[in-house]
Amino acid sequence: MLIDIIQNNYKIISIVGMGKNAGKTVTLNHLIEEAAINGITIGITSTGRDGEGIDLVTGTEKPSIYAFEGTYIATSEKALKLGDAKIEIIKVTDYRTPMGKIVIGKVRDAGYVQIAGPQTTKEIKAISNILIDFGAEVVFIDGAINRLSSAAPSVSQGCILATGAVVSRDMNKVIRDTLHAVELFKLPEVKEDTLRILIKDIIQKENISLIDENYNVKTLDIKTSLNSGKIISQHITKSTRYVIFPGSLVKNTIEDIVKGSRLIKNVTFVVRDGTKIFVGPVDWLRLCRQGLKVKALNSVSTLAVTINPYSPQGYYFDQREFLNSMKKHLKDIPVFDVVHGGEYKDEIYR
Amino acid sequence: MALEKVDLTRVKPYGDTLNDGMMQLSFTLPIPYGDEADEAARRLARKMGLEEPSVVHSHDLGVGYTFFVVYGKCQHTVNYEEIEVPKVDVEIMSKYEVEDFIKENIKRDVVIVGACTGTDAHTVGIDAIMNMKGYDGHYGLERYKMVEAYNLGSQVPNEELVAKAIELNADAILVSQVVTQKDVHIPNLTELTELLEAEGMRDKIVLVCGGPRISHELAKELGYDAGFGSGSFANNVASFIVKEIVERKLV
Repeated sequence: MLIDIIQNNYKIISIVGMGKNAGKTVTLNHLIEEAAINGITIGITSTGRDGEGIDLVTGTEKPSIYAFEGTYIATSEKALKLGDAKIEIIKVTDYRTPMGKIVIGKVRDAGYVQIAGPQTTKEIKAISNILIDFGAEVVFIDGAINRLSSAAPSVSQGCILATGAVVSRDMNKVIRDTLHAVELFKLPEVKEDTLRILIKDIIQKENISLIDENYNVKTLDIKTSLNSGKIISQHITKSTRYVIFPGSLVKNTIEDIVKGSRLIKNVTFVVRDGTKIFVGPVDWLRLCRQGLKVKALNSVSTLAVTINPYSPQGYYFDQREFLNSMKKHLKDIPVFDVVHGGEYKDEIYR
Repeated sequence: MALEKVDLTRVKPYGDTLNDGMMQLSFTLPIPYGDEADEAARRLARKMGLEEPSVVHSHDLGVGYTFFVVYGKCQHTVNYEEIEVPKVDVEIMSKYEVEDFIKENIKRDVVIVGACTGTDAHTVGIDAIMNMKGYDGHYGLERYKMVEAYNLGSQVPNEELVAKAIELNADAILVSQVVTQKDVHIPNLTELTELLEAEGMRDKIVLVCGGPRISHELAKELGYDAGFGSGSFANNVASFIVKEIVERKLV
């Protein structure tokens, strides 16, 4: 069972998706059910909005969320009123959303709930901790649309990635994009201790810096790496070994650095984690071939990938073929078809 | 003459008398002008649930296309009383009230960066909110005292918008999405949220989106602080931003 991987190992789990209708909420419902069977007290919150009947963008039906007695939820005032579960309000927080303040509640009588959590990842983290303090053994953060930022290790300890036919009509493209997201998530971590201490410090101070072969740190006087690739490349010398990016790393920045410096092959770029990288799969492959090396301070642990072979636009993939090719490509990460189950039961339940 | 009482739980279109359900549709079909075309339009209207559909006007568009105006009776009703649309919940101030509010509560210039991002080249929305002359008698943000407004224009990549916001130390970012096909505005808007998160900026900024297909409810899901639909003016947006700055202690 999916919950077996999580129980006792992780406290905060994010469920993120490659797009709308990729199956995030269906995945959440599986986890809720498995947790209930195993008697695990859970907490639920969301970066977007979940449990409403009809999708805001596509107009398609969305899965409801059924919360069992004893579950802790963090939702907004307005969303709280829209469910039919009996909920005891245990705390009203100061975190605000377009749908009112975030309220912490405990389900007294099982039923459907609507979840609309806080807006920023910092707030999501704080809210998750509140849920744990009240007694949740595991907190699930349901993601919104294609936003992956709640998978960052600074927010959740592990993530489940939901993907599906909605990403593209071409199954190969869905697989390619999913693999790319997973690859960024599991970027290799910087291992060396001395280096990690230096990098942590740089990231905390939020300054783009270079580290040379003798561990000398050079801090650049720029506020962001965006539009600053040229400036960064000018500072790369023969002895430079690492460039540390405390914020984002986008395609144009990398391109400008690669164009501006021939010494790129000796240098490793370091980001906080894979969610900070904004490069598409095709460009990423090309840049890697040109000698780009990127590591992370912390990699994101992808506990599982869930797939949904149906798209709300009406087309669908052959479920078996989709599941098998996804499994073949992902190798060591378990893949579940949340719509059909199928292999899910055969291989994981036993 | 006593007006008949409207049943708000079962609202129907009004034509000549209450609840007659009369509606008018206009559309084009890719078929040549003629009697068969009129019949096709009528059948289509019936399939849409309109009773007694009648084609009151049809017009040859050339190249084998025909334009129709159809009347019909709608059989459906909606319950008006159960409708609740989340709106930006803020007391709307006038331009001058906003200026006074900034002077009293923020005590420094408020920096607002706006753009029409991604592939969208339609600046009417952002211009109506930001440009000096404003729209429909409501001056734009550029004219506000103690507001530094930067309108970056159209087709601005998210990266550039964020870079500019960092450079200017912006208090708020305003994104407009007007014409968007196949929901491209959605990934474009979420990319901005994610980029701001990656840059560690999301908590330090008021993030607002606007456009005809944007609602306050959608903004929640996109990770924005507010969403303004059609019919919003500069002072609506300004009221929200300045109050949000104070409430979130970003002063």
